[in-house]
Amino acid sequence: MSGETLTAPMAEALAAPRAQLHRVLRWGLFATALLVVAPFLLDTYTVNILIRALFLAALALTVDILWGYTGVLTFGQSAFFGVGAYACALVFTHYGFGPGWAVFALILGILAAMAVGLLVGWLAFYHGASPLYASIVTLALPIVLTQVVFAGGRYTGSSSGLSGFPTYYWDLEVWFWIAGAFLILVTCLAVLFVRSDMGRVLVAIRENEMRCAYLGIPVSRIKILLMVAMGAIGAAAGFGYAAFTNVVAPELTGFLLGTELLIWVALGGRGTIIGPVLGTIAIDVTSSYLSGSLPFVWKLIIGTAFVLVIVVLPQGLLPELGKALRRLLRRKPAPRPVPTLQVTASKPPGDEAEIPLVVEGVERHFGSLQVLQGIDFRVGRGELLSLVGPNGAGKTTLIRCLADGMEKSGGRVVIFGKDLGRWPPDRCVALGIGRKFQAASIYDTLTVAECLRLARYRLERFSLWQVTPVLQLPEAALRIVKETGLAERLDVEVRHLSHGQKQALDLAMVLALEPSIVLLDEPTAGLTKTERERIGGILTSLVERERLSVLLVEHDLNFVRQISSRVIVMHQGKIVLDGSVAEVVDSALVREIYAGSSHPVTEAGA
Amino acid sequence: MSAETVLELAGVSSGYGEATVVRDVSLSVKNGEIVAMLGKNGMGKSTLLKTVMGYLPVQKGAVTVLQNDMTREPPHRIARRGVAYSPQAEAIFHDLTVRENLVLGMPDPHGFDAEFARICGIFPFMKDRLAQRAGTLSGGEQKMLILARALMARPRLILIDEITEGLQPSVIDRLGQALLDERAKNGVSIFLVEQHIQFALRVADRWAVLKLGEIDDAGDCTAPGAAARIANHLAV
Amino acid sequence: MSVLILDIVTTAAILFTVATGLMIILGVMKLINFAHGAFLTIGGYAAYITTLAGWSPWLAIPFAALVGLVLGLVVEIFIVRPLYSRPLDAILATWGLGIIIGQLITIAFGREVQFAEPPVSGAVEFLGLSYSTYRLLLVMVALIVGAGLTGLLYFTRFGLNARAVIMNEDLARGLGIDSTKVRLATFGLGAALASMAGALITPLISVDPNLGLPWLVNSFMLVLTSGVSIPGLLIVSLLLGGAQVVVSTYLSPIIGGLTIVVLAALILRIRPQGIGWGGS
Repeated sequence: MSGETLTAPMAEALAAPRAQLHRVLRWGLFATALLVVAPFLLDTYTVNILIRALFLAALALTVDILWGYTGVLTFGQSAFFGVGAYACALVFTHYGFGPGWAVFALILGILAAMAVGLLVGWLAFYHGASPLYASIVTLALPIVLTQVVFAGGRYTGSSSGLSGFPTYYWDLEVWFWIAGAFLILVTCLAVLFVRSDMGRVLVAIRENEMRCAYLGIPVSRIKILLMVAMGAIGAAAGFGYAAFTNVVAPELTGFLLGTELLIWVALGGRGTIIGPVLGTIAIDVTSSYLSGSLPFVWKLIIGTAFVLVIVVLPQGLLPELGKALRRLLRRKPAPRPVPTLQVTASKPPGDEAEIPLVVEGVERHFGSLQVLQGIDFRVGRGELLSLVGPNGAGKTTLIRCLADGMEKSGGRVVIFGKDLGRWPPDRCVALGIGRKFQAASIYDTLTVAECLRLARYRLERFSLWQVTPVLQLPEAALRIVKETGLAERLDVEVRHLSHGQKQALDLAMVLALEPSIVLLDEPTAGLTKTERERIGGILTSLVERERLSVLLVEHDLNFVRQISSRVIVMHQGKIVLDGSVAEVVDSALVREIYAGSSHPVTEAGA
Repeated sequence: MSAETVLELAGVSSGYGEATVVRDVSLSVKNGEIVAMLGKNGMGKSTLLKTVMGYLPVQKGAVTVLQNDMTREPPHRIARRGVAYSPQAEAIFHDLTVRENLVLGMPDPHGFDAEFARICGIFPFMKDRLAQRAGTLSGGEQKMLILARALMARPRLILIDEITEGLQPSVIDRLGQALLDERAKNGVSIFLVEQHIQFALRVADRWAVLKLGEIDDAGDCTAPGAAARIANHLAV
Repeated sequence: MSVLILDIVTTAAILFTVATGLMIILGVMKLINFAHGAFLTIGGYAAYITTLAGWSPWLAIPFAALVGLVLGLVVEIFIVRPLYSRPLDAILATWGLGIIIGQLITIAFGREVQFAEPPVSGAVEFLGLSYSTYRLLLVMVALIVGAGLTGLLYFTRFGLNARAVIMNEDLARGLGIDSTKVRLATFGLGAALASMAGALITPLISVDPNLGLPWLVNSFMLVLTSGVSIPGLLIVSLLLGGAQVVVSTYLSPIIGGLTIVVLAALILRIRPQGIGWGGS
């Protein structure tokens, strides 16, 4: 079944990542050429400040990746910078100096930063943490570190810092080339990274973290790894900075530097890599020049520009400039890469011997309010089960309890023999649950292809430097993509899709997870008649051809009648009826419930 | 009683984001009239009320309240024109006292004691409950509190979203009677959204059914066979 | 021992007074005002101006409150309101505002430390010790502020409206409450409180353009752990402030400066909603 291609000649698709790599290399070479020549064209003072600015630009880049791309507002990257700087100064001051010592100090600084990053990540990125709390932890980090430095007395130099320690007193040009090479290398890698598959995952986390969990993406783990990696880079930059300037002071680890980084990134253009790098260099160099003549007015201008940008131009100055330039030159923005679609052989869902879904005694309460009680039922292979009932019956709560192990207050949910326990949503996906939300909560700035790929996180390898040219999808997902015209719009951003197409994409993403059990919450809401029929056809074929188990919450009872093999009626948090479509539809009990009877309904035989 | 219109919807479409849930709805409520909008879950009834009250932007058409164009007005301005809104969920402040909830129903709290005495005539149980936290009232008492709050400021128009949900028949009767009495005494107009057919027919003068966001059918509540017609639309 | 207790109580009172402005803004507007430090600084300079102008030092308090109020109203309309749906960006914008205010103050007054005349000075006999009169006075102030705010919240219509907006803004709007005006008034009040607190603490610290900065982070941490309630803030001020005093006295003042931040981060990890019951 595999090997069936649909769009764009294979060769062209495979060539795309190569072209991307070449483009980045070309820019890197150009920058390197500039780097080599620059020291001979500029005066000593400028070169001196530029070297510092280059190291700081590398640090700002890490802030952009964390904040601009992943949405983690961090005040704490300065702490990692400080760790690297102090590693350099402490080792050179107290222990020794030489090539071996230098390597040792660099590695020590990087490892220490990574350890701190791991701690901070564990503290800040636990499942269910609010973004505000993460920012608080990153705020506390540089403050704590600064105080630790103060407390270090003569060892760390306390508030005056350390200076005059042995270091490499190379020519300015040499330092310039080292700093520049470091920055160019980090920038090129960063650009490749943010445009790769993994880079798209970061953007997805920024836009809708919860949805990522339901796509099986381990968000906490990714954020922690990212923090560790960015800490390492920050420490390397700090090491270089300290080695060059020959001075370290607590300000390098502090809260104020941390906020300055955010200002540089915001002004340069968050989420663009190049913007923050250029912005940092420009602002830092200008600051150095003006710090003699009008220090306060300059800071005032920066502060005002910062506030204006945040309020009015959240994208930053450089992207606005870029847009204006593009309009002037009448050039269209670079097209997003379009992968080739390919069918993947679908494996039969789960272990043949086990029952797909067993729900025993599930209940959910909020304080004294009982929302679900005594929920017991099973779903077999190839069953299409509809959950119906008036508002407030607990249907959506039940779906939540099936897709998120931590949601229920009691009871057991067992999938193919494995107990869901208290596993978070991304683990439930691994066990075979695929949940589609009522509102098509997808990622506005990602393309159709990028969204579909996100769903493949658990099943395929995600590249760190390129967009994998082939996108494998199971047949059901592929069919939706074909039939709804999404196959021709793979490079279109989601926000330009119609409501019906968004719903179709959402469903395709859920099916791309290759779930064994599909949970749908009001899949027909807001759809036209044709779209309704199409979804009905897709769900029916999922159940008949692929033998999946489908559970859907619906209000459109005609739809329910047409496609379900079984219906469960819920009322006031309990199951009141579980039977075939005919049994339920003709039941007097159900009519009573829907007519608004107020008596708590007792379970009745059909 | 003049025949002026208290609420006029002209070709109103609205929804969430780009989605259109309510399509091209036109209806009017005259002074002193009670109109019931029925329909199954998910058909757009709550969305319609939220649109009238200004919580959702109107994509097409116009909303006129008490002869004034309220299409683009925010909820608090519409409320201050004499419209009382009782939402389906989260309709009271659980952590505030009964008294505080009632006071919030009156932009000008000056006549509180007089109005409260009037309300106690309709819902006698409230007399000694002023200091009780609203969240500790029973389900039925909470709904009565909602209605009491709506009546405190003597509104011109009341919008009610499925107030009978989950209530005992006796309480439903009392609520219905209170609405009828208030209309008889003070000429208030009421636009209510319901799934409970008997309640709607008992209280309202006219009915309409909302299906997939559009008005599917309408009629007089006193006409014979109305119940059967509506039941047909709402059938499982 | 008694000195320690007095230190704890007076420190808690100072922390409480400084943090209340931040807390009511967070409570009603769900917003972290990172310009809080700058408003404290403004209050400090208002006290300095009072000294320069030769007025009675007691006048510094209402003067600072007035300046804070006016500035707060302006800030809410132009900077905070557009960012209602972007809370993290609001933190940044208010931080940027803080920078602007700091620079304007520096340009106007210079970077040197200034002196503001305190309304009372010296020590007084209390519980068998000689203790700073002013610090004891601040305990009174904290109690008055706490009582005043509680009175405002629970005995006025504005307070009722504000509580309604905190609990359920949509429902409040449907009842005729203009939540935009409530937020505007709240921000103004929060800024006025911060400014007033800044004027109150000048006798204890130096008046310079960076006056408010160390207080910002501590206030921020206290407010979050308080669960956004006035009693909650009193309790965490005592607990965490007390911890800070104990650590500073027995370990080192440097580590002491960290106590509130570290303890707060740990508490919030265990109980993200803080110790209070939030809302009212």
